[in-house]
This record gives sequence, C-alpha cells and structure tokens, in this order.
Amino acid sequence: MRSSERNIYSFLRKYQVIIISAALALFSLHLALTDKKEYARGYLLKEILSYTVTPVQGLILGVQDSITGAWNDYFFLIGVHEENESLKKTIYSLVEENRRLGEDARQNERLRALLEFKQSLPYGTTGASIIGFNIERWSRTVVLDKGSSDGIEKDQAAIAFGGIVGRIIEVSGGGSRVLLTTDLRSNIDVMIERSRVKGVVEGNGTDGLIMKYVRQVDEVQVGDQVITSGLSGIFPKGLIVGEVTRVEKSGDNFFKLVEVRPAVDLGRLEEVLVIRERSSYNE
Amino acid sequence: MLKFHTESAVEDRPLHIKQAMKEFLLFLPLTIIYLALKSTLFAAFPLPDIPLIMVFYLASRKASTEGAIFAFILGYLDDAFSGGVIGTSSFALLVIFLSVHLLSMVVQFTTPAARAGGAAAAALVKGAASYYVLRYSNVDAYFFTHVVLQALVTGFFAPPVISALQWLVLLVTPRKFKDNES
Repeated sequence: MRSSERNIYSFLRKYQVIIISAALALFSLHLALTDKKEYARGYLLKEILSYTVTPVQGLILGVQDSITGAWNDYFFLIGVHEENESLKKTIYSLVEENRRLGEDARQNERLRALLEFKQSLPYGTTGASIIGFNIERWSRTVVLDKGSSDGIEKDQAAIAFGGIVGRIIEVSGGGSRVLLTTDLRSNIDVMIERSRVKGVVEGNGTDGLIMKYVRQVDEVQVGDQVITSGLSGIFPKGLIVGEVTRVEKSGDNFFKLVEVRPAVDLGRLEEVLVIRERSSYNE
Repeated sequence: MLKFHTESAVEDRPLHIKQAMKEFLLFLPLTIIYLALKSTLFAAFPLPDIPLIMVFYLASRKASTEGAIFAFILGYLDDAFSGGVIGTSSFALLVIFLSVHLLSMVVQFTTPAARAGGAAAAALVKGAASYYVLRYSNVDAYFFTHVVLQALVTGFFAPPVISALQWLVLLVTPRKFKDNES
C-alpha cells in the first residue's frame, strides 16, 4: 500500500508538467466551449480582466489620439496658410456672387412690379434704368440709360410704380436727364383727388413738395391724395403725386400753405417708365 | 534525461519558483503592452505572436509547472485583449507548451533556424487549434489570414524575439559562480 502510494506520488511528480498542462488545456477548452454558449454567465477572471484590460487599451488609444491630434494640429498645418488664402479668395468670390444673385433677385422683383404697372397703364411707355443721380439743394435730377435712339423726347413724363417721378429735360442719343418733382424748378399741375381742388406742385429743394395756389376756402386736409390734373400736357391725368402732410394758412391770408410728401421715394428709385404717347393724355 | 531535470527542479524548488516569478513579472508587462498595441494600433497588421514565442521559449528551454500556468495566463490575456472566445488561446498555447516540452526531449531548439521552424510550426498548431475551436463554436475564421500568415510572420520573428527574451532573463538571473564551476 505504502509502495503503491509512493509510486503514484512519484508518477505525479515525474509527469507533473504534462498532467498540469493537460488539465489546464482541458479547462481552457471547457472555458472556450462554455464561454460561447453561456456568454452571459461570465467568470471571475474575465470580470477582473475587464477592469484591467480596458484601461490599458484606453491608455494606448489615448496616446494614439494625442499623437494624431498633435500631428493634425501642428505638423499638418504647414501648408494651411496657402490653403487658408485660397479659401479666403473662394469665400470672397462666393460672397460677391451671393450678393450679385441677391441683387439680381431684387431687381427681378422690381422689374416684375414695374412690368405689371406698365401693362396696367393705358399708354405706351419705355422702361429705363437710372444710371446717375444729382441730388443737390438747387438741382435734383437723375440720368436715364435711354435716349433719343429709344424714342425718348424732351418733356416726356417719367413715372414709377406708385406715382410720378419727373419730366425729361435733356435728351441725348444714349441717355436722358429727368428733372425730379422735388427740384425747385419743377411745376406740375395737380388737384386734390377727394375735393378736386386744383393747384401747382413745386419742389422745395429737399425731399418734399409744396402745393401752391390753394385758396383759404378750398377744402384740403391732411391725408388727401394729390394727383396730376393733366392740364400741363406733360403728365397724364390721374397719376398720383403724393399725399398732403401739412395744411396751414399762409402769411398773405389768401392762399393755404400745403405740404405734400411724394408718393415715390425718389432717393431709392432705380427704374422708371417714360410715357411716350401724349395723345392719350386727355382720355 | 527527463528524470535528471525533474530531480534537479525538486532540489532547487524555492530558487526555481523565485526565478519563475521574476520571469513571470518580466514577461507579463511585455505581453500586456504587446496585446494592447495589437488590439488597438496594429489591429490590422499581422504581428508576430509574441505570447506564443514566449511559451515556445519557456517550453523548449526547461519546461516547468510555472511555465504551463504562465502559458494559460498568456492565452487568457490574449483572448481578453482581442475580444475573442475566452479559452481558445489558452487551450492552443497549452497544447503547444506540451508539444514543445515533449519534442524538446529529442530536438534541441538552439539554432535560429530550429527556433524559426519550431515557432512557425507551433503557430500553425495554435492557429489550427484556434481555428477549429472557433469553427466548432460557429464563429467565422479565415484559415489563411488567421493561421498560415500568422505562422509565417511568427516563425520569421521568433529567433530575434527569443534572443531578446534570453537577454532579458539574464538580466534578472542571479550569477551563481559555484554552479558554473561545477
């Protein structure tokens, strides 16, 4: 008995490496087969490793991110100056293109409104763009891009969507000059739309108009619409000139002082219509 | 020959365990660094199987119980880092450990060519064992990339890696002039 125990002990000691290796291999095989089938169960060693392995992998990835970040943020920036300049130029170009497209869209909107206005008029007109301004105290004129070659003549009326603008005072082959209603030299026969009281509108040298020759007994009040009377032979009858903004007694106790705000904002005007047909004025 | 090794190991048991612990503490951080790099930065590269080369080295040099345990731990770490099925690498490394241990009784893995061939064959065994375990568990595995290519790379790098391991072991091995004389 004692001898057999010794033999077993001797055998185990002699082949301990083989026995332990085989046992561990079988245990590994058991782990491999059960790990796949009973994945949720887990093992203590696996749980411990999950707390030790993950930080090491995180550390490695953190170092990698730092190196990659340093490379991208510093070394890779060598050629960025030229790229930055190129991108700036592209941005400027795109901003300019965007501004131009916006401008085209706004112009398109204005022209569409002007076209509708033109089609609603009972007389022939020529569209023209304003290419120059002369807004002084003593002279308020604009220059149009259409002249005699386009059928523009002196003393034709220039109007816009909403009201009158002025009359042509100079004409050349490729351009013309319009005397605005707000010019000191401008005189337009008008009347109050509501009461049909007549008068003459003159420019006051600023952005406003003065309606003259309105008697004290005439019925005029703030808010009245002022329209053309058609008597001058330049402006057709019924075009809106502006709106009465102030009515006072003048110093001579005979006429009223009537201030009129132009219907058209002349400072923002960009396109006008020039009326060609005078024969239809008295219709 | 086998008897001589066993008796010698029993006689120097405390010293033997101490030396095995030193080697374990030396190899373990290297393995963790290698596995961390392999599972992160070099996941797409066919790196040599360093744990396998370590096991091959331990088994071919002088197999011990500690070496078998170390093979199991290395395999377990390999599976844990790579996210594979736990136990496959352990099983494969222990099979290799056992095979190389038995083979080293008749073959001396001392030349670079023998080490390269042995490591490549061991990598093939490991790869094949892992492959069949994975296939048995219905996990997709590709024989060429997982087995053949890995074996070739491991065999190519095995001699320099084993030389480096020997150099590292020498650093922690106490000089025993008395033993050298005898």
